[in-house]
Amino acid sequence: MPGVDVTVEVCGMAGDGTIAAGGLINEAMSAGGFSVLGFDSYPAEIRGFGRCVTRSRIGDEEILAMEDETHVLISLNDQQSISRVPVLAKDSALFFDNNPPTYVTEEKSLAAEVDPETMLFGMPFSDLAVEAAGTDRGRNLTALGGFAAVCGVPPDFFRRVITKKFKPKGEKVLDANLKSFDAGYDYAKEHFAARLKTMFVEPERFEGRERVMLSGNLAIGKGALDAGLKLYFGYPITPATPIMEYLAKMLPERGGAVIQMEDEISSIGAVLGAGFAGARSMTATSGPGFALMTELITHGVMAEIPAVILNAQRGGPSTGLPTKTEQSDLQAAVFGGPGDSGRIVIAPTNVAECYAFTVKSFQLAEKYQTPVVVLTDFFLDNRVENLPMPEAAEDDIAGGNIFPDDSAKGSYRRYLDTETGISPRSVPGMEGFTFSATGLEHTERGTPDYSPDNHMKMSDKRHRKIQGALADLPEPREFSPGGKLDVGVVGWGSTFGSILEAVNTAQSRGLKVGALKITAIFPYHGDVIGEFMSRCSRILIPELNHSGQLANLISHLRGNDVVRLNLATGMPFPPSAILSRIEELVKAGA
Amino acid sequence: MAQEHCVIIGNGPAANAAAFTLRENDSDVRITVIGEECDHQYRPDLLPDYIAGTVAEEDLFIGRSEPYKQCDIKLRLGQRVVNVDFQSRELVLEHNEMIRFTGLIIACGAKPRIPEPLEVFEDLMLTLKTPADARDWIDRLAHVDDVLIVGGDLTSLSLTRALLHLGKRVTFLINGGSFWPVPFSSELRDEVARRLIERGIEVTECSKIRRMVKVSDHAVEVRTDCRTMTVGILGAFFGLVPNVKFLARSGLDIERGVLVDEYLKTSVDNVYAAGDCAQVYHPGIHDYWVSIGYANAVELGKTAALNLLGDMVPVNVERESILKIDGINVNTSWWTEF
Amino acid sequence: MNETHHHPSKTGTQERVVVKDVSYSTDPADFAYMSLNVPCQSACPAYTNIPAYIRALYEGEYGTSYELNRMVNVLPGVLGRICSRPCEEVCRHGEPELGKPVNICHIKRAASDFKTAGHIYLEKFFAPQGKRVCIVGAGPAGLAAAHDLTTIGIEVTLLEAFDEPGGMLRYGIPEFRLPREILNAEIGSIVRLGVTMETGVRVGSDVSVEDLLNRYDAVLMAAGCYVAKELEIPGDTLSGVIPGLDFVMDVTTGGTPEIGKNVLVIGAGFTAFDCARMALRLGADDVAICIRATEEELRVTQDEILEAKREGVQIKGLMASRRVVGRDNVEGVEFLRTRLGDRLPNGKRKIVPIEGSQFILPADSVLTAIGQGAEPIVSPGEKDRRGVLKGDPMTFLTSVPNLYVTGDFMTGPSTVIESIAGGRRAAERIAEDLTGKKFREWAVRIEEAQVTDRQREWDYIPRSEMPTVLPVQDRFKTGNIEVEKGFSPERSHIESQRCYLCYLHYEIDISRCIYCRYCIDVAPRDCIKLVNEVVTDENGAVTGFVETTSWEDVNAVVIDNSRCIRCGECLRVCPTDCISVSKVELVERMLQTGRD
Repeated sequence: MPGVDVTVEVCGMAGDGTIAAGGLINEAMSAGGFSVLGFDSYPAEIRGFGRCVTRSRIGDEEILAMEDETHVLISLNDQQSISRVPVLAKDSALFFDNNPPTYVTEEKSLAAEVDPETMLFGMPFSDLAVEAAGTDRGRNLTALGGFAAVCGVPPDFFRRVITKKFKPKGEKVLDANLKSFDAGYDYAKEHFAARLKTMFVEPERFEGRERVMLSGNLAIGKGALDAGLKLYFGYPITPATPIMEYLAKMLPERGGAVIQMEDEISSIGAVLGAGFAGARSMTATSGPGFALMTELITHGVMAEIPAVILNAQRGGPSTGLPTKTEQSDLQAAVFGGPGDSGRIVIAPTNVAECYAFTVKSFQLAEKYQTPVVVLTDFFLDNRVENLPMPEAAEDDIAGGNIFPDDSAKGSYRRYLDTETGISPRSVPGMEGFTFSATGLEHTERGTPDYSPDNHMKMSDKRHRKIQGALADLPEPREFSPGGKLDVGVVGWGSTFGSILEAVNTAQSRGLKVGALKITAIFPYHGDVIGEFMSRCSRILIPELNHSGQLANLISHLRGNDVVRLNLATGMPFPPSAILSRIEELVKAGA
Repeated sequence: MAQEHCVIIGNGPAANAAAFTLRENDSDVRITVIGEECDHQYRPDLLPDYIAGTVAEEDLFIGRSEPYKQCDIKLRLGQRVVNVDFQSRELVLEHNEMIRFTGLIIACGAKPRIPEPLEVFEDLMLTLKTPADARDWIDRLAHVDDVLIVGGDLTSLSLTRALLHLGKRVTFLINGGSFWPVPFSSELRDEVARRLIERGIEVTECSKIRRMVKVSDHAVEVRTDCRTMTVGILGAFFGLVPNVKFLARSGLDIERGVLVDEYLKTSVDNVYAAGDCAQVYHPGIHDYWVSIGYANAVELGKTAALNLLGDMVPVNVERESILKIDGINVNTSWWTEF
Repeated sequence: MNETHHHPSKTGTQERVVVKDVSYSTDPADFAYMSLNVPCQSACPAYTNIPAYIRALYEGEYGTSYELNRMVNVLPGVLGRICSRPCEEVCRHGEPELGKPVNICHIKRAASDFKTAGHIYLEKFFAPQGKRVCIVGAGPAGLAAAHDLTTIGIEVTLLEAFDEPGGMLRYGIPEFRLPREILNAEIGSIVRLGVTMETGVRVGSDVSVEDLLNRYDAVLMAAGCYVAKELEIPGDTLSGVIPGLDFVMDVTTGGTPEIGKNVLVIGAGFTAFDCARMALRLGADDVAICIRATEEELRVTQDEILEAKREGVQIKGLMASRRVVGRDNVEGVEFLRTRLGDRLPNGKRKIVPIEGSQFILPADSVLTAIGQGAEPIVSPGEKDRRGVLKGDPMTFLTSVPNLYVTGDFMTGPSTVIESIAGGRRAAERIAEDLTGKKFREWAVRIEEAQVTDRQREWDYIPRSEMPTVLPVQDRFKTGNIEVEKGFSPERSHIESQRCYLCYLHYEIDISRCIYCRYCIDVAPRDCIKLVNEVVTDENGAVTGFVETTSWEDVNAVVIDNSRCIRCGECLRVCPTDCISVSKVELVERMLQTGRD
């Protein structure tokens, strides 16, 4: 029997409670033991008008990516939902308000747009909510009640998460929301008795499982907290702002501080200052902010100061597409800025990695005395996954600093040229160890020196140090049966989930294909990647950008013989597009 | 001027014949077909076999989306018309949508009739007209062994056969003076009774059902003039009535069905009715007439469509098909008695 | 205050009297407002203050609720059962997307049912006027006139031809629809005011109209319509063809007329339905009402049709009787099929019989209920072609001084509530003619008000239908079991919550409105409008709005009270408190006793 794999959408206008409803679906289904991947999209305006859509893919296998088609659409605003009709799967279910306050003309009617096979579940959302609770604020809950009844979700799972969400707002609010939900549930049970479309079979799987719903952004925030972040400096920018919001709430409780700076330049300056002083600190920004930071990031490289910079990518260049996803800052993250300014760049591919890599980045920054860029993207930041509550290992939290021996007291050289390139570090306040932080090329002691030999030597030391970090960076992970492959798909960031789903499907269809996940973007594991590439007849690199930035970075490992698959749609990469390209390549090679 | 928009209410044989006839004869007109049921067009005559398990559910259905797409006909299923404003030429769907039309063909069919004195017991009775009804029967039959059929019409005979096939015990309560769609002649009554008894069905006659009481989820007690019995399911078969309640007070002339002239035109311009919701005065039988049967419906649907496009085709009243169900010949293609 | 609630009149001749925060208006514009915006009260021939009595019942004040009815309708308990309910047809709750009308009629019955034994009748008496009036006929019109004239201070003698007062209420309506103790009690409360009642006196034969005119200052003829119209087709004199009204009167006076098993009723009014239902109670098996048009065109209430059908009455449409068939006794009726023709000015359809379509329905009895007319009474004065005294519908005067007519006797068969209203108006006119003074006057009463405790969710309460005795077999145990069981106090309270209270008037003070449109956002329907212009008629009455979607053209944000369901949401969200509520009612003021 095929497993559960259902994509549910809630669509409405800002103010309809769309995001809240989507969140409750995620929570309820997660509590029910399903894997959940949720992704909301909302309008670009800072506050606002326009359409909100939440999509939740729910399944009994681990969910790796969003699917193109929607099986259930819950419309809280029909005019907005009309735009969602093209993504509706055949035989999908549509929940909509069948008693809007005024008549709707045919041109503006959702029911007029859908295919005849679409199962229509018209319910008077507002009326039911008003009838049950005296206000139509709970109409989104009423809609959820209908969804639960028709699709076979035990109502208690919703009641529980509703209680959790609204209890803090007082008994009255909670009661109104529960009543609204029940009204929808009862109505649907009564009116659609003959047409219940149980999608979530095996109700016994709705046994509570300890999982939490986390977005990429919250995972990053939590990772930073768990890693012992002391100071956060930043300037708000979509899609990184939720990190700052989260930390602003949590960090002060733990004795830290969040300071909003006047811009991104001062933010990175403050982060470097804190790092220089020995405190764990970070900033989070997106492409336009990152661009402003690059000059000071190279200062961190030159002065060898730890810093953690999160770059949450969005559609660019410039202001670009603030609320859309893209993977087009890779080159800026790796190469952005003046001079030979190598730094560590790592890119998580899912929410669990968002947490783990954030934790790890502080240690890396300390150990290698360098700015570390964590590269995420809008889709990764804003999607929610249900996963076991992430926890960091002691080893990953531990300080990364390599401090000088006491024996070096007096003869201490801040930029000592060692075999690893790592110079034992001093911070202000360490008696007998002269600290230094200079943007000028310098000697081992930190004094300016522009001589050819010195610049060669120190450049080499810094380069050696960064390359050496490879030992501490996560290796590429291969998903394949091993051996020779017809097609190998290499990818990074949020796109990798789509790649893996496509590859899994291709494998289940009997194709000899594999996937390679790269999370260490710079430095990268050229040997591992090269070996994988050599085993594959064709290499496919799908990326959500126009220029193929990862391909540009690594395709030399195979004499530039790679196939690029680039989408710059602002939307998450559809697995189906990768799958069909894989199948084409396999066919062409056969 | 806006494009012509012909709306057809209904998704049965008359409605669909009308829609495709419209398209054949006019490539420009916008056509919308609105069906109240969620299912595509189906064969009601197969429902008893579906209940018996000898016909698969997918074989019930005639229509699928493709032909409609090819002919650029908008098909809307599971959407109910609740009101028509003939003055502003707009119809209102249950979900408060308003559709403007320039031409309208009402072919919304008929629904099972429950005599008013029995309406209070409606929840205790099953009818059989739609696939949804059939699914109800299937669900309920899983739990019961005996079935009481009240009334009597052609559908009830086929259903009885299906029930026997399933090994159920059937009692037939011949009620009142008609074996829908025809008045009971004594020959017909005897013929029906004889055939039923031959099959091992108990046939009872009574003039009035006094009371029905729900005993449990799967048992109903029925009290008639002459006896009291407890059965698992009570099937009500009193024929059909046009499904035109939504037109009450719309200003359109309706009696049992939508009143139309011999060109199927209603009392409102550019509004036609066809199939078994149309009530036509039949000069041949000198009475009002509501058609039954697939062939009639198709014929009327075509006629309505042609006349809406400007023809003046009178309804074919000569047709007289012989319905032969379960070996009993019923020599009619219409009903007049209500 | 006046400015806020007043649609300015162009004529401006009427004066307003302001007492505290209450004002009264006789401006035609305000009456026009009432008919558009408080449709129920205006639709009632007696102008019953429906929102007020429903609100009183909601508050548990059954007595007050009853009195609010009784001040314009002397028989609330009766009308709470058998009224034709023109109010419900126009009730705003019944507009297409709003559900079904409030069950106004049966709330009235609840007020009557649940008023306490200690309920005090409120009667306002004027000083004695030294005049005497004789009223002929103790039906609803005569009773209403007797009541009003008595309270005005005029001595009334009420002559009734039958043994008991009540007229059609007693003799034309079966007991299973109207229990007699209710009727007797309400008639009693009129008579006890000092009316001299003489029953069994048939004017024209027992006493002449001239004689009465000599003995009294005025005579009011309210003798009703008791002559059944005949079929006037061949065979209509066969045995077994019974005039329906005679049949009903026979049963209501205790008779048990012979009736066959198979009964055809020819006719389409309440009497036809009463005949059919009585026939079933007398043992008929198959009863069909044969009508010339369709069920759609019937003018009886939906409840009546439903209950009759439940009892087994069939309604057969599109047939016109042509001939009664039979040798000595009736054996059947031959009908022609009919076609609906054009709509006539009176709202009914022209019926076109179809030649050649004759068919015969068998029958043992045929009851004819195709209408009735007034019985000609010997009197002076101008008569119509049937010999019935004619009167002026405005002044109620005949061609003879001091001789007045009213009720069905003047208008032909009408409804009970119309008769009561007609009786009252005639009484007012007679009193004015006799004394030269006006006693009562209709005005629009405007009072500042607050938003009520009505909850938005009450708008979704489904209409409570009158519970009836079911299954129908239980109705037939005896002939006069009241079929309608009446609401319980709880049920009537719930039903009373449904009333929107359209007598509340919501208005935006444009001078304080900041055009934020919050009110429009929360509006339950398109009741608040962005308006470029307000359209008024020659009286200054608002007849419509010119709406606009262009901001530059918006001159006001206006609440359209004909769309408003009085939910109060706009008022609750208004940030500037620029929305005010007032209560507007049609009231009858006592002109000679100071202000109400």
